[in-house]
Amino acid sequence: MEEKKSVLKAGASMLRDYLVLVMIAFLVVITAIIEPKFLSGSNLVNIMRQFGPLIMVSLGMTFVIIGGFIDLSVAGTINLVAVVTISLIQPLGQLPALLIGLALGIVCGTLNSILILSSGALTQAEALFITFGMSTVYSALALLYSHGSTMHFWDISASKSVFEAIGGGNIGFFSVSFVIFLVLLAILWIFQSKTADGRAICLTGGNKTAARLSGIQISRSIVEIYVICGFMAAVGAIVLFSRITTAAPVIGAGYETSAILAVVVGGTTLKGGKGSVLRTVMGVLLVVLMSNCLDLLGVSSYMQYAVKGAILMFAIWLDNRKQA
Amino acid sequence: MSKSGILTSIYKALTKQKAFIALLVMMIGMLFSKTNFYSAYNLLDMLNSTSILLILAFGVTFTIISGGCDLSIGGNLVVAGILAIKLLDVMPIWLAILIAVLFGAVVGFVNGFLVVQQKTEPFIITLGMGLLLTGVAQQLTDAHPLPAKNPNFMMISNGDFHGIPNLVIIMLVCFGISYWIMRYTQFGRNLYAIGGDYEVARYSGIDVIRTKWMGFVLSGVAAALAGVLLSSKLNTGSPVYGETTALVVNCGVVVGGTSFAGGIGGIPQSGLGLLVFGMLDNVMNMLGITSYYQVLLKGAVIVAIIWMDCFANKRKREAV
Repeated sequence: MEEKKSVLKAGASMLRDYLVLVMIAFLVVITAIIEPKFLSGSNLVNIMRQFGPLIMVSLGMTFVIIGGFIDLSVAGTINLVAVVTISLIQPLGQLPALLIGLALGIVCGTLNSILILSSGALTQAEALFITFGMSTVYSALALLYSHGSTMHFWDISASKSVFEAIGGGNIGFFSVSFVIFLVLLAILWIFQSKTADGRAICLTGGNKTAARLSGIQISRSIVEIYVICGFMAAVGAIVLFSRITTAAPVIGAGYETSAILAVVVGGTTLKGGKGSVLRTVMGVLLVVLMSNCLDLLGVSSYMQYAVKGAILMFAIWLDNRKQA
Repeated sequence: MSKSGILTSIYKALTKQKAFIALLVMMIGMLFSKTNFYSAYNLLDMLNSTSILLILAFGVTFTIISGGCDLSIGGNLVVAGILAIKLLDVMPIWLAILIAVLFGAVVGFVNGFLVVQQKTEPFIITLGMGLLLTGVAQQLTDAHPLPAKNPNFMMISNGDFHGIPNLVIIMLVCFGISYWIMRYTQFGRNLYAIGGDYEVARYSGIDVIRTKWMGFVLSGVAAALAGVLLSSKLNTGSPVYGETTALVVNCGVVVGGTSFAGGIGGIPQSGLGLLVFGMLDNVMNMLGITSYYQVLLKGAVIVAIIWMDCFANKRKREAV
């Protein structure tokens, strides 16, 4: 009797752990039945491309959330990186533009971490408001830099083959952005699970005082998480504007909440200290599949917004129950 | 008192009264500008255009004092405003407003259930609620502004009483009521106790869950009321005003000296904090600063002030 109960309990906890996978499978089956177009090749490629920008931003956000903080500034970072990078293709050539764009992401992340460290912010709430302010600042800089205008690929006469490849090229069956994602995922996964710094970030998120007392430099962890997040936001920005071939100074709006949603749905706890980039991949997959499903089912984009909010609340509530 | 002692006390006063000092700096600065800043018309106009934000801030203060936070007020504001305008077609004004405000109370109730009863972190969960409500608002209006058909509705916010705009009068009434609740009722005192130390409040016999929950309901009611007033002021229901309002109002409350740590602050402080943003807008418009620079400056002010709040918290932690 006792044994049976414990087996049930283990089954229940496993179900909760892999709830996302179950939900993904469920979504795929339901949608494939209702709308056979779902499993067509063109729709799968479409899903892979939709996956691109959000997964990059979410991977970066995972580290911030594991470290016990939050970063609302990714929307502003994406805006700024996108307009700066696209404007530099013409005068500097594509590779310098690409590198400057990525460097700009790192600068934004570093700036966030400096503000957080110097103010001594230790809670998620404090980080939330500081990075919200920084998001406003970056967005305003993007507006000032671009004079509020949108830039298109067809305005650029110089070669832009690299960006066109990122946006629409294929390597074998996979799209280029998907390959970039696989490479970055491998690097980040190794960083997170096999290096001392990656472990330190986890411990910082678990309990900052305990981490400091056991000799971990939490300031170093804080700089690392924000730099990674800024860099990944920059990668996301480049993938995003390459795909849609335009860069508006408001291109990144909404990415911060979508990324937080994907990370939390994936099962990384908002309390910090626990989680993994692999979980985030599942979370993003669920979010992208869901919006693809809702699209195919003809749900308006406004209602999808509302559904996202509801799922975010539900995921946090569920996570909270699990911890308790 | 030693020299460093005096310096510390000056520093303390500066950080405590940062909203007041910011207002003073702007007022002194405007003495040297050749604008009509110091006209009764402009000052009243400034108060009028800040009134809606002030009403939001009074509501949010109830949640922040007790150690919570409400980022759903932006979504709540737009949905309540649109709801009021839609209901106007089928029922008298007072009933439409009443239903919109009741809707706000329900949103606050759900927030309270999730945050207080289920003990989730208030920040992201109310952000999610805001997202949900913004989506609902866009669906209700198809993302277009929705004009009101009843001309009397417009007069609520745009009318005036002997030269004083109605909005300012309503704001002052809200101020009076919330100040009284916070300061002179057992409920208000209990909110302070809960924010100060949740466990101590619980052990001293306060019904912590019910009290904190009620704070969220009040915040929802204030947000819905603000939404109705905004719709009346613009004579349209529009889904776009909710996006950053919630974060700005919560920041404004902190600017006034109410801390996210809970237990410190009050209604007058929140009012001062929001006035900083109201006056900043007014001053920037007066000086003819273009809109992109306005956004930049506002962001920088938010970062600077939240930074100071965090820094003060850090010093407090280290002093213990």
